[in-house]
Amino acid sequence: MAKQLAFYFDASACTGCKACAIACKDRSSLPVGINWRKVYDYGGGGWNTDPTHPEIMIPNNVFVYSTSTACMHCENPSCVAACPAKAISKREDGVVLINANVCIGCRYCEWACPYGAPQFNTTLGVMTKCDFCQDLQAQGLNPACVDACPMRALGYGELDTLRQAHGTVNAIEPLPSADITHPAIVITPHKHSQPSGQGTGRIIKLEEV
Amino acid sequence: MDLRELALVTFSILAQMSVGAFLVLGVVKYFVARKAGVEEADRMGDRSLIAIIIVLGLGMLASLLHLGSPLSAPRAVTNFATSWLSREILSGSIFIVLGALYAILQWFKLGPSVLRTVIGWLAALVGIVLVFCMAMVYMLPTQPAWNNLATPVSFFTTTLLLGALAMGAAFVANYAYIQKKNPGCADLQCQLLRSTLRWIAVFSVIMLGVEFVVTPVYLVSLATGVPQAVESAKLIAGPLGALFLIRMILAFVGAGVFGFFLYQNAQSAGREKLLGYMAYTAFVLVLAAEVLGRLVFYSSRVGITL
Repeated sequence: MAKQLAFYFDASACTGCKACAIACKDRSSLPVGINWRKVYDYGGGGWNTDPTHPEIMIPNNVFVYSTSTACMHCENPSCVAACPAKAISKREDGVVLINANVCIGCRYCEWACPYGAPQFNTTLGVMTKCDFCQDLQAQGLNPACVDACPMRALGYGELDTLRQAHGTVNAIEPLPSADITHPAIVITPHKHSQPSGQGTGRIIKLEEV
Repeated sequence: MDLRELALVTFSILAQMSVGAFLVLGVVKYFVARKAGVEEADRMGDRSLIAIIIVLGLGMLASLLHLGSPLSAPRAVTNFATSWLSREILSGSIFIVLGALYAILQWFKLGPSVLRTVIGWLAALVGIVLVFCMAMVYMLPTQPAWNNLATPVSFFTTTLLLGALAMGAAFVANYAYIQKKNPGCADLQCQLLRSTLRWIAVFSVIMLGVEFVVTPVYLVSLATGVPQAVESAKLIAGPLGALFLIRMILAFVGAGVFGFFLYQNAQSAGREKLLGYMAYTAFVLVLAAEVLGRLVFYSSRVGITL
């Protein structure tokens, strides 16, 4: 079986602090507007009036949890197929990389990706995205996001190994269905996590993502 | 609406218009040649070939404006094995080369007539492939507003409707030119013009009918689709509603009302000037309608994405 490097995300441990996103931005010196790793807060539920004490509000299934996302280095990456210039390729270890020297900046991969991973750099005129910290990994180090997490909620490794250890969940809200691209991600759900497509909540404070 | 989307609107409309015009020209020339001979057919249609190629060239130049690195544009054809965008650019390039070759051979009457005809039909075939590839570019699973049978159907409708009315206008302009330069052969050309315009009018009304069937079916399929499709339907009914409505009215007036007048007034000779104004007006109205429709198409996109 082909090797496939994958991220592991423990939603039950994530506190939504965004240290991973900041570490990523710092490591790759990403400009304003580009964030290869993002943390989405997903919540729902509401409040009811206590029938016997109308002045009291009681929570009704109020929930919120955080999901840290980056490029999923998908097994079936729609960006690779879509790119007209052969600028995006899937390496032997499964990592999906954009070659900035080949990219023509048509932004078609942006339409094709369900995870918002490829992002356009207006200064360079090309697409950019998470490269799985390939330079750090080559030195035997961990990706910046993984090392930055104070909750140890992020990990990475061989997809099959991660699945054996943590199960096969790969789509919780607000992530889209895994059917489109087969993302290389293994998730330990939060106790409130809802499967993709069956969510009752919404992304909250999108402007903070 | 940013420069990037305007570039895509310009490219897709101009490319489809030139493919449509090329196809309509081919069909008209075929029937005119059978009726009145190849020479009259060439006299009627060859001047517009130059315009068709120029329009396509402008469209392809406009498409460069949506690239972050326009100088690298030639690389866009390399991934034709899997990318519909590559196939689009590749078929567009082949179409403009074959079309220009056909135009040059026709203009200078180079080579045997059969060879020219073969090149012409080959170019027409590549043009159809181009419009198909253009539609497939938008059939992305992540874009429910586009990933709909309505995309290829409406792209081909735009191609044929806009192409037919563009050729209507071109035939009228060509006739005015002939009348001035060479009044001797104007009588037969006048007859051919009137019967061609009648067919163009009927064809336009049929294409308008297709648009008026496809559009509501499309809107219903959006409104009953996945959440992102519903969001797109809300955009078309809400903020894009005015554009959408103006588009439908312009198409109806241009292809329907003016198509009807065009048919009526092409019945008898002596109204060529009026016919000309009608053909121009119908073309301009439908061009505006299709541009607005394409703006709505791009602006109504709500992707399945984070």
